[in-house]
Amino acid sequence: MPTSTSTKAITGKPRANRAKIWFLVHSWMAMPIWAFVFFICLTGTIATVSQEIVWLADPASRANPPAQAGNLLSFDEIVAVVNEGHPEAIIQSISRPVKSQFALTARISYPDTTTRTLYINPYTGVIQGESSRFDFRQFVRGLHGWLLMPWTNGYSWGWYLVSITAVPMLISLITGLVVYKRFWRGFLSPRLRFNVNARVLWGDFHRLAGIWSIPFIAIISITSIWFLLQGILQDNQVSFSTAGAPIYVDRADVPQLSSNSQTPPFISLDEATAAVETAFPDFQASFVSMPGNAYAHYRIGGRSVSYPLLFENVSVNPYNAKIEQTRRISDLSWLEIITGSMRPLHTGDFVGLSLKLVYFFFGILLTLMVFSGMMIWSKRTFRDTAAVLRERKIKQQPNKQMDSQIPTYALNEGESA
Amino acid sequence: MSQPRASQPRHRKSLWFRWRFHLSGLLLILPMVAMPFYFDDLAMSRGEKGLGERDLGQHQVGPWQIQLAEWDTNPPWRDGVASYMKTFSLSLCESCIPEVKAAYMRIGKPRNLRTAGAISFGTPYRQFISMPITESATADADIWLTLEGWDGSVHQISMPLADASPSAATFIQRRNH
Repeated sequence: MPTSTSTKAITGKPRANRAKIWFLVHSWMAMPIWAFVFFICLTGTIATVSQEIVWLADPASRANPPAQAGNLLSFDEIVAVVNEGHPEAIIQSISRPVKSQFALTARISYPDTTTRTLYINPYTGVIQGESSRFDFRQFVRGLHGWLLMPWTNGYSWGWYLVSITAVPMLISLITGLVVYKRFWRGFLSPRLRFNVNARVLWGDFHRLAGIWSIPFIAIISITSIWFLLQGILQDNQVSFSTAGAPIYVDRADVPQLSSNSQTPPFISLDEATAAVETAFPDFQASFVSMPGNAYAHYRIGGRSVSYPLLFENVSVNPYNAKIEQTRRISDLSWLEIITGSMRPLHTGDFVGLSLKLVYFFFGILLTLMVFSGMMIWSKRTFRDTAAVLRERKIKQQPNKQMDSQIPTYALNEGESA
Repeated sequence: MSQPRASQPRHRKSLWFRWRFHLSGLLLILPMVAMPFYFDDLAMSRGEKGLGERDLGQHQVGPWQIQLAEWDTNPPWRDGVASYMKTFSLSLCESCIPEVKAAYMRIGKPRNLRTAGAISFGTPYRQFISMPITESATADADIWLTLEGWDGSVHQISMPLADASPSAATFIQRRNH
């Protein structure tokens, strides 16, 4: 660094000055954008528990077991329930939580071209309601992930604006650990001084929350940098998917009926899921989507048992129950497994409520760290920046006008070291 | 640059000085401005604003009546390296639902059922066909919609691309120039 020699010449303490530079980088990293980053952290924190918020707000979205809770409904029973309650509707997909406090959902299409999502009790089959037109969960995700900006042509601009803040966040983490000498001692002797002043309290909080959040901040910022890369790759048509071209049911398998009034001989959903579960005993079907046309497959999916971050899915021929495509963990490349894990790692949605609450807690800490950083900065960094600038000025042009070349607000900003 | 000391208190109290590091909060204007469009898009995708952004009316295809729409009026969207796509939406009349096996669409007349073009996806009430804008397509071409019945019967209609999607016709015109 060209500046280190000049500061060294003055002070004779190069290490201390290098630390000072690190410290200034740390201090400046988020400050000019703190309000935006604060908003992203806050909405992200809410987004981790948005499903639970809907659960609290809307009783129809809950899966209350009856007194004598029997087995969960099978997919065919769910289809029957929907056909009875909404005879005009056509089911597009069903998502059945394997074991959860949430009602199962069926996405259905109506003759007036609308699609809606029904909440169905997984034990009793009662259609408890439908998801409201304002989908809070989707809204918070959109607000957090891309500022609700449109996706008309490739990735949303909002997506880039949000994900690029991961870069200063990661730099903040690294520089923070560099300047916080022997930060590991903070684990053994945590310090939160309530009795000095606000700056000291915010500072103590910032350091304490920071060291306990090292893994969380690393996960959030690295996964977000992946989101940034993902946008760039997709927008430039770079793909490393091993999925290949979409497959269709062979024409020979699709029956030709003698008259149009005959019912096409589709196998039932339970037959299709049974075929998958027979072929793969460790597969737990939790969602199914209906064939999108006469040459399309049943797509049956479920969370991988061996690697719960990812979902696996299997395409089943709807006429003969043959499994014609599998996308299981063993079918994925390492790159697909790693990049596919980024989103679940970012949202914390792969264990259940417990992990979501952990993410929520650290999300609040991170949001408060952005705020406390701003509070500390506005009280202290002015002064430190001015000090370094002053040292350079002395070296470069040692003249008497020095004082007037430095922002005087910084010099005057009172508060002793 | 160097200011007399006397002016500095005024400088320190200026709005710019006090607010400059909170200005990134102004980025939150973006979601506020985008919100009505966000809800519009959402209503569109839930089918609450009709079959598509631009209705192309009812059409009789052999024995079957269908409604057709241009899903959005944007220029064709890019699909991978391969090509650009234009998406249409269609719905089948109540009585044709059990009879129609599949719907296909392409630019230019297909030679047979196997070259009928992109197949539709969705439910009989609302299905989508994303039709590739082929390299050889011209702006004055026709689009051909082919319906296949479960009994093997095939019925077709055609209409000028410029009527079905003015934005796609404009796109092709620009590309071919």
